Amino acid sequence: MSDRFVSLQKLSLAYGQTEVVPELDLDIREGELIALLGPSGCGKTTTMRAIAGLMAPKTGKIFIDGTDVTRTPANKRGIGLVFQSYALFPHLSAFENVAFGLRLKKMDNLEVTSRVEHGLNTVGLAHLAARKPAEMSGGQQQRLSLSRSLVMEPKVLLLDEPLSNLDARLRLEMRTELQRLQRETGITMVFVTHDQAEALALADRIVLMKEGVIEQLGTADELYNKPASKFAADFFGFENIFAVSDAGIVGNKGSLAGTFEAQDGHLAWRPGAVVVGKGPYEGTVTGVAFAGEQREYVIEAALGQIKATTPATDKRYEIGDSVAFDLPLAGAWHLPEGRQGVLMAK
Amino acid sequence: MTSKWTSRLIIGLTLTFLIGPFLIIILAGMSAGDFLAFPPDGLSLKWYIKVFTVESFQKSFALSMFLAVFGTLTALVLGVPAAYAISRYDIPFGETIKTVVAAPIIVPGIIVGLALLRYLVIPLGFTVTLALFLAHTALVLPYAVRVVLSSLNNLESDMEEAAVLLGCSRVGAFTRVVLPNIQGGVLAAFILGFVTSFNQVPVSLFLSGPGVRTLPIDMLSYMEITFDPSVAALSALLAFLSVVIVFVAEKFLGFSRYV
Repeated sequence: MSDRFVSLQKLSLAYGQTEVVPELDLDIREGELIALLGPSGCGKTTTMRAIAGLMAPKTGKIFIDGTDVTRTPANKRGIGLVFQSYALFPHLSAFENVAFGLRLKKMDNLEVTSRVEHGLNTVGLAHLAARKPAEMSGGQQQRLSLSRSLVMEPKVLLLDEPLSNLDARLRLEMRTELQRLQRETGITMVFVTHDQAEALALADRIVLMKEGVIEQLGTADELYNKPASKFAADFFGFENIFAVSDAGIVGNKGSLAGTFEAQDGHLAWRPGAVVVGKGPYEGTVTGVAFAGEQREYVIEAALGQIKATTPATDKRYEIGDSVAFDLPLAGAWHLPEGRQGVLMAK
Repeated sequence: MTSKWTSRLIIGLTLTFLIGPFLIIILAGMSAGDFLAFPPDGLSLKWYIKVFTVESFQKSFALSMFLAVFGTLTALVLGVPAAYAISRYDIPFGETIKTVVAAPIIVPGIIVGLALLRYLVIPLGFTVTLALFLAHTALVLPYAVRVVLSSLNNLESDMEEAAVLLGCSRVGAFTRVVLPNIQGGVLAAFILGFVTSFNQVPVSLFLSGPGVRTLPIDMLSYMEITFDPSVAALSALLAFLSVVIVFVAEKFLGFSRYV
């Protein structure tokens, strides 16, 4: 098992004069399921297209399985890509869609048939082999697209927003399916997403990107619990982030005096860490929403907006109510300037 | 009540205006007399039969068929790749090229014909047939590009990239994935081009020479000499041919989607 199965070295990507990725270094392990995560425009899709060979890097090199493929055309790289739109061939049946790449390899007909049947079976579509893509549901189309890539036995399988076009129930199903296929085939998979929940649920490791630069790389646990930057913290649900000053913490509207024991940088709280109903600070409820097991509040305080959640069984506050709250130091995530973040403990 | 009758009147007038001339021509061709007249002098089908025996009609029909079929095919051979390039690649002056390609539709045929005669046929010594062929190709080209372009724009470009990643070359992706999915558009462009070329008068007028005439030009000159109902009969047959082609195309292709 190679630790540098896919290796991007000093990769620089641009569309014409617009630089998307200035210089990227990334090593992907053999057999892992890795997510490229970030908001739109962060360069995640561009990076994926470069790995596939659909766009040429300005500078830098791409290695796959120890071979420099930087100049290898896309059709010779042996990489699969499941498009967000699925990109199925509408004029061909499900069977012929899956057989497409195999036939190009000049494989004999019996071999093609057995491989396609196996491929359709793997994704549970054997009974729909004769259907055209237009006669299939979104979930089925996606599985067909997946199967079409998998029968080629690619070295790396790339997936562009694999769950975004599916409804909640299918999403869960597909997630399980992808993990199962990855375990069974051992194929290295790279998927692109803007949804942190999707990345957390599916990936062995997550590459968080911002403006073409890797902001943080680590396991789901590491990114969720130990975000390395303000951007990462914000992306993984620390919705209350404030700068630390000598006297207290500073938001976009004002500051909150208090002792926070942190010297510099930022302090961050998840909505669930904010205490509502008691505490030294005062604010006005400007928004409340019921979300099943919990209630979500937006509280307008001296330093700006505070997002908080409380168990639904707690006392309910209405819009306009004055409410006491606390930002407890225990449970806050501290992001000092230029150093690693730490969990504050009292 | 009034508005209902008003709208019926308008629809009736419109239909009369559109279909009326067609009916008049059909009936005029069915005349039993020797001169083109409406209403016809008695009824017979002799002129409908006679047109098939006129030698110059046979020759010019063959030429018009040749121009319509091969001119349109050539326009497609040039136009399909051009449309593909415009839709898929960010080519320099893409918009300009689209406008230039559309020019033969916008510029009056008389001017196109005169220009081709003055700057191609006379100085370069092209034969009349070659000049006609080039002119018809050029006239059909805008339709080929436009119609194919609209069906290409409805096709996701992801599909070609998917084909490439499955091992196709760029050209292979075009023939295996793009072409089968735009064949309706290509066929529609062919029919539209065929009809346009076949009915073309002003350009052909300038480029016809001794013994080489397209059918519409031949009909014009025939009428100058002989004023019998055979021209009406032939017109009716040609109009009927166009209607059949478009009807069949609509029935099997949903022709109107592309035009």
